[in-house]
Amino acid sequence: MDIRLIDYQSTTAAGINIDALAESIDSQQSGLRENDLVGCDIDTWIGRVAAVDEIDLGEWQSRNNALAALGLQQGSITENLALLKEKYSPARVGIVMGSSTASIDRTEEAYRNLNQAGRLTPLFQQRLVHNPHAPSLFVAHHTGITGPAMTINTACSSSAKVFATGARWLAQGVVDAVLVGGVDTLCLSVMYGFNSLQLISDTVCRPFDQSRNGINLGEAAGYAILMRAEDAMLDAGVALRGYGESSDAHHMSHPHPEGLGARLAIQQALKMAELGTQDIDYINLHGTASQANDLIEGKLIGSMFPKSTQVSSTKAWVGHTLGAAGITESLIAVDALRRNRVPGSLNLTTLDEQLDLSIQSDNLARPLDYVMSNSFGFGGNNCCLVFAKTGDYV
Amino acid sequence: MTSIDFQILGVGAWGPNFQNWSELSAILNGEKLEGHGIKGPKPEVIPANERRRAPLPVRLAVESSWQAVNDAGLDPAELPCVFVSGIGDTQLTDYMCTVLAADNKALSPTKFHNSVHNAAAGYWTISTGCTQAANSVAGFQESVSLAMMEALIQCQAEQRPLLISFYDAPSSEVLCELLKSDVSFAASIVIAPPSYSAARPDFSAQIRQHELKQQENRWPDLDAHQTLQSGYAKNPSAKILPLLKLLTLVESIGSDVIELPLSQQTSLRITLAQSA
Repeated sequence: MDIRLIDYQSTTAAGINIDALAESIDSQQSGLRENDLVGCDIDTWIGRVAAVDEIDLGEWQSRNNALAALGLQQGSITENLALLKEKYSPARVGIVMGSSTASIDRTEEAYRNLNQAGRLTPLFQQRLVHNPHAPSLFVAHHTGITGPAMTINTACSSSAKVFATGARWLAQGVVDAVLVGGVDTLCLSVMYGFNSLQLISDTVCRPFDQSRNGINLGEAAGYAILMRAEDAMLDAGVALRGYGESSDAHHMSHPHPEGLGARLAIQQALKMAELGTQDIDYINLHGTASQANDLIEGKLIGSMFPKSTQVSSTKAWVGHTLGAAGITESLIAVDALRRNRVPGSLNLTTLDEQLDLSIQSDNLARPLDYVMSNSFGFGGNNCCLVFAKTGDYV
Repeated sequence: MTSIDFQILGVGAWGPNFQNWSELSAILNGEKLEGHGIKGPKPEVIPANERRRAPLPVRLAVESSWQAVNDAGLDPAELPCVFVSGIGDTQLTDYMCTVLAADNKALSPTKFHNSVHNAAAGYWTISTGCTQAANSVAGFQESVSLAMMEALIQCQAEQRPLLISFYDAPSSEVLCELLKSDVSFAASIVIAPPSYSAARPDFSAQIRQHELKQQENRWPDLDAHQTLQSGYAKNPSAKILPLLKLLTLVESIGSDVIELPLSQQTSLRITLAQSA
C-alpha cells in the first residue's frame, strides 16, 4: 500500500496549527489549563481551544462545527482542496470524518433553551447539526466537496479509522483524493460522562507514571489529504503504510486485560506494512493516563517491541481529545517522522513499576523511518496505523 | 466508473409488523401483515444481564445481525462488521441532555458508555466473541448508501464475507420534529465476494457521478405494501428496502436495477446479474 499524505493540519490546545503544536512540543509547553468550561464544576484540567469561542456559523453553529471550521483555516488545507476540486472535480474528492461527540454540545445547549412546551426554539431547529453525521455534512458544505462523505463514530478510535477507510476508497478508485479528519469538542456530556466512570484526574494527567490518577479531556480538529502515490500532486514525504482494525470482544468501557484486540490491530498493521516490530522507531501510544489503559497498553508494547522502539503518550500536551485523538496523535507521529524528533511523554517522572519501556519525559532528536500510532475506544474498538518516510519532500 | 460485484448470503430484519426476513419479504411482495405490538426485540445472543442494559437501537441491530449470520450459515466471530444508524440513540441523547440541563448533572455510567454510536458494534462483538474489525458509521439520510459503499469496498479489498447492519429507532420526542423517525427498523445483510456461493446470484454495484443537484437527494419509489411506506420515508435505515426488494425479485423476474443517492454528485447503482 502506498497512500500519501500530501498535506496535514492539527488544531489543539497546544497549538492553533501543526507548526505551533511542534513549537509547544519542542519547548515542552502543555496546552492544558484548569477546567474553565462554562457550566462545568468538575475539578480537573482540560485542553480547551479558546479561539473556537469567537466563531459563529449561523444555521450550522455548534462548538464542534466551529472547531472543524477553525481547523480548515490552518495552513494550506483549503488551498489544496481547491486545487484538487479543480483538477479532478468536486465529486471525485471524498470526505471521511471521525468524531465521538459530533455536535452534542449544540444539542445540550438546545435542551437548556427549550420553550415552555418543552420544544426546540427556532435558533436550534438545525436538523443537519443534531445528528451523528454532522461533522461530515458541515465539512462537505464548508469545502464544496460533493463526493461521498461519511462519518466514523467508534468513540476514541474514530479518527484513526478514517485513514483505513480513506486508503480503501483510494485503492478502489472511487475517489482521487480524500480529506480525512477528526473533530471532537469539550462538552458537558463527556465531562460528566467520564466523571461518572471515575476516570477524570483532578491534576494534570501523567500518562504511564506510577502516580497517574486519570485523564484530562481535550478538544481538537485534525485533517490530512490522502492520495494514491502515483497521483500525489505534492509530496509531504510521508506515506500511510499499514493499518490494523480489531475488536476486544470483552467489555463496553474496560479494555481487554491482556490487550487482545490491541495486539491484533498492531499485528495487522505491521503485516500490511511488511515490517517487523524492530523496524518501528517511535510509537505514539494511546496512553490516556487511566490506570487500566496505561498498564495494559504498556505491558503489551513492552512484550512486543524491542528497546530500540521509543514510545510516548502526548496527551499531557493536548488532553484526551476522544474522537479527534486518532488523527491528532497520528499527525504528531507524522510530524515527528518528518522532523526526526521524538516527543517525550510529558509529565512522566517515575515509570509505572510494572512497566519496562523506552519512554522518558524529554524529547529526543534521532533519525526516524517508521512510526506507529495506537488508538483504542469504548466498545473495545481498536485501530493501529503505520506511517513511513518517503524520502525527498518539499 | 468503479464497479464492485458481490453476493448477499443472508438477511435479517425487525420492524413493527415483521420480526424476520421471511415476514418482511412477504410485505415487500404486497402482503399485509398486522403489527405484532412488541416494542423491541430481545436478542438471545446477548447474555441476559447485558441484555437488560442494552438500549433499543442496540437490540434492533444485534437481533437482525444474528438472524443474518444464521441465514448465511457463517460464524459471527469470523466476520468483520459495519454498523450504521442515521440518527443514533436519541433516547440516550435526550436522557443526557435533560440531566445536563438540570442542577444535578450526575450521569449514569452505564448510560454514558451506552451512548457511544458504536454501542451496537460493541455489544455485537462482545456477545459473539468477534475480534474482527468493527466499524460504526453515520450518514444521516444517506446512511444506507454510504455504509453499503463502505462495506462493499472493504469486502472487495479483503475478499471475504462481511456483515452490515442498518438500524434506527424512533426519535426522542424533542428531536422528532427534526429527525422524523417514528418507527423501529433494522435490517442486516451478510455480503460476500462474487461467486462465493453457487446458490446465490451476483450483484454489481457502481459508484456513478452526475450533475450537481441543488435539491435534496431523491430516493427511488418503493414498490411494497403501504405499511412500509411511512418508515421508508422517515427512518434512515429503512432506505435499505429497495435493495431488499431487489432480493425478493431474484426468483420471479431475474433482473432489475436500483440507484441510491450517495452525495450531491454521486450515487450507488446496484444491478442484479442476469445469470442468477
